Parts: sequence; structure tokens; C-alpha cells
Amino acid sequence: MTTTRRNLFKFAGGGAAGALLTPAPWRLITDTALWSENWPGIPRPARGEIRARFTHCTLCPAGCAVRARCVNGQPVSLAGVKPHPISNGALCPWGIAGHHLPYHPERLRKGPVQEATAAVARAISQRGAGECVAVLDLRPGRTASLTYRRAMASIENGIYLAPRQPAYAVDLAAARTVVSFGAPLFDGWGTPGNVFAARDHFRLIQVEPVETRTGALSDVWLPIRPGTEAAIASALAGDMTIAEAARATGVEEEAIGAVKEAADRGSTVVVASDPGSPLMSLNAKLGALKHTVVARRESPVPDAWKKAAPVTEIAAAADGAIRVLLIDESLPGGYVPWREIEPKLAANAVVAVFTSTSQGYARRAQYVLPAPVYPEVAEDVGPAIDTVAAVFRVAAPLVAPLVPVVNPAGFVAQIAGLPPGDPLRERADAIHQTGRGTLLSYADGKSTPVKEVAADDFWKTLNQGGCWMDDAGKKSAPSGFGWPVTWPTRHDDLPLAVVAAEFNRGGLASPLMSKLERESNLRMAANHVVLSPADAHASGIENGSPCLLETACGRMNAAATIDPGVPAGVVEVAGGPRMAELCGANPRARVVRA
Amino acid sequence: MIGGKIAFASGMLVALACGWLAFPRILYQTRPQPVDFSHKVHADKAGAKCEDCHSFRDDGTYAGIPTLDKCSGCHAAAMGTTAAEKSFIDQYVTPNREPQWLSYARQPENVYFSHVSHVKLGRLTCEQCHGGEGSTGGLRPYQLDPISGYSRDIWGRPVNRTGLRTEGGMKMDDCVNCHRRQGLEYSCLGCHK
Repeated sequence: MTTTRRNLFKFAGGGAAGALLTPAPWRLITDTALWSENWPGIPRPARGEIRARFTHCTLCPAGCAVRARCVNGQPVSLAGVKPHPISNGALCPWGIAGHHLPYHPERLRKGPVQEATAAVARAISQRGAGECVAVLDLRPGRTASLTYRRAMASIENGIYLAPRQPAYAVDLAAARTVVSFGAPLFDGWGTPGNVFAARDHFRLIQVEPVETRTGALSDVWLPIRPGTEAAIASALAGDMTIAEAARATGVEEEAIGAVKEAADRGSTVVVASDPGSPLMSLNAKLGALKHTVVARRESPVPDAWKKAAPVTEIAAAADGAIRVLLIDESLPGGYVPWREIEPKLAANAVVAVFTSTSQGYARRAQYVLPAPVYPEVAEDVGPAIDTVAAVFRVAAPLVAPLVPVVNPAGFVAQIAGLPPGDPLRERADAIHQTGRGTLLSYADGKSTPVKEVAADDFWKTLNQGGCWMDDAGKKSAPSGFGWPVTWPTRHDDLPLAVVAAEFNRGGLASPLMSKLERESNLRMAANHVVLSPADAHASGIENGSPCLLETACGRMNAAATIDPGVPAGVVEVAGGPRMAELCGANPRARVVRA
Repeated sequence: MIGGKIAFASGMLVALACGWLAFPRILYQTRPQPVDFSHKVHADKAGAKCEDCHSFRDDGTYAGIPTLDKCSGCHAAAMGTTAAEKSFIDQYVTPNREPQWLSYARQPENVYFSHVSHVKLGRLTCEQCHGGEGSTGGLRPYQLDPISGYSRDIWGRPVNRTGLRTEGGMKMDDCVNCHRRQGLEYSCLGCHK
């Protein structure tokens, strides 16, 4: 056989045909496809030992139990804890993504710690007669809050400031009818898992001018005219006829009558978007006290902690008296508008804020100190509004702080000269000594009476996945529910009711978490307002035109959007601290052409 | 004319030989395991069962290949005089250094596989997926496909698995076929989270 050009082609052709009958080409096609899955830039999940760790979410007072799937010690996904009797295995969308928070691009990464320490110490020593040192705690009810109160008690003229907290608990499991005045029951009010567990046993009547997500899921939605909640409350209390209430609210008489009938049947509870609203006093008229609205016992504290400063609302502080103000904004909490704080400050006041963001109070403070965020630090979580028994839940850290942080409670304790120690451990020991309640362990779902647990095991379980729950005890009525009540003054010159387009978890506001929510283009921008066509026409405002939003507290330039979905008498705005400052607690507004 | 046929047949034979004999040898890179470990010795002499070392934790997660702590429980000091035992003690136990085992059955990054649901709920035996590994006298070398980055065991030992045969490996087809046979649900998100 001679080597010719033709034979070479035939050899190559035979080779190609033969190759098709081997695994090589087919395997290379598959391997190449798999290889392309591993190109640089494609995210690669962590590898390593997989463990489950337990903690509690501190992003809101619900304090849901969390099971973290960790790879090499790094949390990669969060889920609820099924046997938990309060959170019932549920987590809200924030809770599920909470382990991402330390890596937020807008997180505060450094601060003038030394300078702040020196300035605060200097201001405390140099303050004049009558000038005071204050701590503003946005999340009262924690062990850290008790540290602040102890610290302020040990400093002359020290005051502990906190937003108003409900001095009661709502027992949803005992309710057959829930009358909600704008409370976002299915959108973060209380403990989500607890609300949904009780949902099958109560009828929800949602009273609010716009159809929120809770309104859409309620059994009855009463679409009242904005600002006429008091008329419905008066009708339910029997202080106003149903016909009068129907005229005032624009809701049909039959609907109000049916609600009154349901409310009068018993086992009713009234809840409001603001837990301190006078609307809550309707519970006294409906016989809810001691049944569905109850007083909650405090978790035990060490005897040495009994000397603590009382809780003071910012309005009770004297004007111009605060020489040093330390604000703990490390956790999302009730935002106190700056316009309420500013008059209380002395002319040369030193303001330091512990925070994880440069927004919020950081815009007002001289010293902005980086605080740890969930889940970087051991904290405890106070009870939520729907937690009937006292609880003690430790949020064990899942990651070490990613940036140098200052522990706010440690800073304040050091300034006040409190003896060093581990307040969480001390409180756990105090709870253990009482022998009250049970210890629930998440890994095995076992509930053990505290009397049968050794102190060290009690502490270990609290840190490794467990919570203490007080004995149910006898229900008692909370105080402060008088009827009749004084309704807030109406501003007739401000015809529109302000409704936040995004629910901010019952007043909880964190710029970081707002940013997380607003990364979607579907979210409303902070400088936008939305009006009904009728209100826009009455004010001469066109879609997209600039306008001014005026409230009792100030004004803001905005762009107007006209939306037929917004009822007349309502202006829809974005949520967040800035809007809380502008709109206040009972928001009314006027929108005019710019 | 005959010369042309011979040339064609020769080309075909060369390609077949390369594809069936040389290609598998070229495709896989062979890496030794760090320790000369014998499942058989542990099963026969120590009476160990699979779950004694490859255990589930209290929280339900699967421990996988045991860590050095587990080994040190028995091998704190040398057990016997073999060279493999001495090497293990000197190189790993004494300096408390974790052996870098090469896992034959490591699934790709985009797969979530739960041992607990297959073993505890599905009642699968170890051998159904891992074959006779638990009774071997020594660990065979780990074979890596450098193009895909997968172990040879994932693809299946025979190199001629072209998708027509769906047995003997730990590919998606194998999982799906087993679920089909058992009448169980299978969906993309069941494994690809």
C-alpha cells in the first residue's frame, strides 16, 4: 500500500468515524459543559464541616428562635426552630436573610472611639448644676437596658430615656375576635409564627383607610375615611350611635353593626398600629383586660440591679438639661424624632451614637461609634407584645464582628464605673435561682423545669440553643386603660392622612434595613408622595410634578405620583426615620404645588 | 481501492484504540489518599460498623468523613507495628494535623445531598450508593477528572457511560432513576438549592 494523499484522507476519515464509536468525544462534550460551570466569577459555596447552631433573631422584639446552617462555622442559611412554642418555626423575610447584615455595604466600619470616650468623660466631669447625662435606648427591655439604667442610677443626674413601651401583653390564643386599627397583624406585628398559629381561632376585623396586606387577608376590612378611627372606637364602646359612626367614617351601618355585634360577644381584643394609642383603652370597655390583654411579669434580675434609674420619656426631660447624650441605635428600634430630642440638649451637649449606619442619628451626633450588628454579639431579646409569659432568650453570636466595634452597654458601664462582669450570665443565674419556669432546648425540643437543671447547664443551654419561659401564672389586668379617653387634636388645615407605603414593623426603623428593602425598584423612593386623582386635582398637582409635603413638624420637597389606588384623603409616603421625623405619631399632611 | 479500505480501517482502529484504551488513562489524574486506611481491618478486628465513624450528629446533620478527634479516640498511641500505623501516628495524631482525605463521593457545588433523609427516611444502605467500599482492604487512589473537577466515582467507574447506561455512578441520572424506581418525587429544587 502506497502512501497517497487520497489514503491519508481515508485514514483521517476512518479515524473520525472510529472516534465517534468511543466515549472520548461524548465525554469531552459533557466535561466541557461541567467545566464551564466552574469558570472564575461563578460564586462557590463554602466547603467544610456542616453544623447547625441556634440563636435568636434580634432584628425586632419578636426574638424568633433561629437554626443556622453553618459551614466551617460560617452561617450560610437561617431557618426557624420548629419546637419553639412562640415563634413556631417561622421566620420573616428579614430574619431569614439576617446573616447577611454584617456584610452590608453601607455598614459603618470605623469611628473615633478614643476621642468619644475622652469627650464624654470630660463633659460628665465639667457639667454644670442641673445638667444631666442621658442614655437613649431604642430597644428597652433587654439586659443591656438594665445596664443603662444601673449606670444612670450611679451617675448624678443620670436619666434613662426610652420610647414608650406597652405595659401589657396581648394573648392572641385567647381571642375570638381581633379588632385591629391599622395594626399590621400579618406583616410583622408581634411574633409572626405566633400570630399565624393563632389565626385559625380568631376573626380579624381590620379598620384602616387603605387596603394593606393585612387588610387583604382579614375577615372584614372596614375602609374608613382617614382619621376617623375614633368614631369606630366610640361606636364599639357605645358612646356613639352606629348611624353617627357610619356618617363619620363613610362605612355602611350594617358593617359597623356586625363588627359591634362580634366585639360584644366576648373574647375580643383591640390592637392599634401604635401600641400606646388611646384606641387601646377600648379593651377596657370590651372586657378584654385580664382575658386577652394581660399584665406580664418581669423576668427576674439580680438583687444588686434593683437600684436602677426609672424609664423616662423624652418629653419628660427638662429643656436644655442634657449635657451628655448617648444613643444606643445598635438594634432597630422605636425612632424618637430629633425634633423632640434637640430642645432637651444643652448648648454645649456631647452627643454620641452607637450605630451600624451613618444614617439615622449619626447625622446629628458629634461622635458616631460603630456598633455590632446581628448576629455578631451576644444579646438578649425582651418579650414581644404577644408574648404573655416572661422570657429570657440569648442571641448567641454566629460570626465574630467583621469590623472593630464598640459594645454600647460596655461603654456606658465603663463610663459610669459599674463593676466589670457578664450581665447576661448574672441575669441567667438570677433567673435560675428563682427556680421558676421551664428551660426549652431546641436541639431535642425538650422542656425541663428549671428546678431540675444545674446553673451551668442552664447557661450552656441558653447559649447553645434554648430559652427560658416563665410559668403561665394567674392572668392579671394591666394598668393604664381608662375610658373615656382624650383623642388627639385634629389638624383641620392638614386634610390628608399620611400612610407609609412600606410597613416599618410597628415603628421599628433602621436605615440599614430600609436600604435592604429598598434595593428593589418597586420600592417607593423617599422623596416621592402618592395622591389620589381627586386630591391631586384639588391641589392642582399633575403626575410627576414637584410638590411640597407639609406637616405639623415641617415640610419636604417631593415629586408627586397620582394613583387611583390611593383613596381620597390619603397621601402615601415612603417609610423610614426621615418620614417619622416629618410626620410624627399622628400624621396629617397637606400637599401643595412647589 | 483495497489500499483505501485498509487506510480507512487503520484510521478507525487507531481512533478506537485511543478512545477506549488511552483516553481513560489520560482523562483522570490519580492522587493517593493521605493515609493507608483499611475499612476491612476496622470492621473485622475492631468490629466497627459504618455508623460508628460516619455518624449523624444529635442535630441530624451528617458528620461525613470522621475528623482526627474520632480517630484519636482509639489511636492516641500506635495500635500495632505496621508502617501505616506508625506513619499515621507520626504525621497526624502526634502533631494533631487533620488528614486531607479525598472524598470519592463529593457531590458538585450545585448539589445539596442530605444523608439523613436517605438513610433514616429512605432506609438506604451504605452499599447502595458507595458499593463495597466499606469492606476494602485499602483505600484506592482518588481519580480526578481535571476538566470537570469531579471525582471518577461521580461519573461512574466505567468510562463508557455515555448517558445510555444509567447505573453505577452518582450522577443526576442515577439519582433520578432511583427516585423513579421507588416512585418518589424528584424535582430540580429538591437537590439544586
